[in-house]
Amino acid sequence: MQKQELKQGINDSIPIILGYLPLGLAFGVLANEVGMSIIQATMMSTLCFTGAGQYIAIGVMQAGGAVFTIILANVLVNLRYFLFSTSLVPYLKGRVPTVIGTFLSYGLTDETYAVAMNRYQDHAPTASYMAGLNLSSHIGWITSTLLGAILGSFIGNTERLGLGFALPAMYICLLVFMIKRNSDVFVALSSALFCLLIGYLVPSTMENLFNIIIATIIAASLGVLISERD
Amino acid sequence: MSETSIWIMIIGVSLVSILPRILPVALFSRYEFPKPLKRWLSFVAPAVLGALTALSVLAPDGDINISIHNRYIWAFIPTLLVAIKTRSLFYSLLVGILTMALLYNFV
Repeated sequence: MQKQELKQGINDSIPIILGYLPLGLAFGVLANEVGMSIIQATMMSTLCFTGAGQYIAIGVMQAGGAVFTIILANVLVNLRYFLFSTSLVPYLKGRVPTVIGTFLSYGLTDETYAVAMNRYQDHAPTASYMAGLNLSSHIGWITSTLLGAILGSFIGNTERLGLGFALPAMYICLLVFMIKRNSDVFVALSSALFCLLIGYLVPSTMENLFNIIIATIIAASLGVLISERD
Repeated sequence: MSETSIWIMIIGVSLVSILPRILPVALFSRYEFPKPLKRWLSFVAPAVLGALTALSVLAPDGDINISIHNRYIWAFIPTLLVAIKTRSLFYSLLVGILTMALLYNFV
């Protein structure tokens, strides 16, 4: 265990936790409203850690849908992490023991992925950093769910505090950091464009977030094609 | 939904959310990826961030909303400028959140 790395990971999770706070609170409140107990809502955030997937579960429950529908929708929503996780493999290989890396990948989300990838551009990954980042983000998610489920409707409108922009602001900033090559700009912009276009043409992909997967595959392939020429 | 159904749902969702996250690390770590694949994978992060930024700003409530009434677009501009200028996550977040709070309460 490297203390400095662990601390850095925890530090880097603070903006993530800030962004999760309103989302976790809202999940706790909504879960309660559709008939989940405080324990169930908190256990769901502990075992699942999939914000979009958990919101879908609430939506389906509200509409009186089946368990199978929720699970199937979650297969689609979570499939993108196969791609994210695969792209982390070349970084983790030889630096983080496979068993530990596998265990800690449980805490992979859009946000921890973005922050970790950014860090690994100029720092070697360590198990301690991964643990600090992923576990504390997850604890933030669990805690805010618990608070939401307990406090319920006592919680006012968190939008007023501007916290709704915490995660978008983080994406914007990490995108700026991530851009190193000219081809990266091209890839990011085309991915953004394809993602919206696919979402517009096939609205269901806006819910299962399949548009992110397809846009990423297209944009990364275009990136390989155009960078071959330099 | 009954008590039991909810627990089955939670366990089912946890399985399908954990597997795609951990399987690549568990299975692929022993292999050396071929160069072209590594190159392709190196574009995954910028592509993912491009898509996430676009969705979070242009479809903040889940539906595409490209109009002057979308506060997220207005908050995007100062946040991007601060991110480029300071290269600090802290200041970008601060400016983004403050702008959003101002827009929400006063516009």
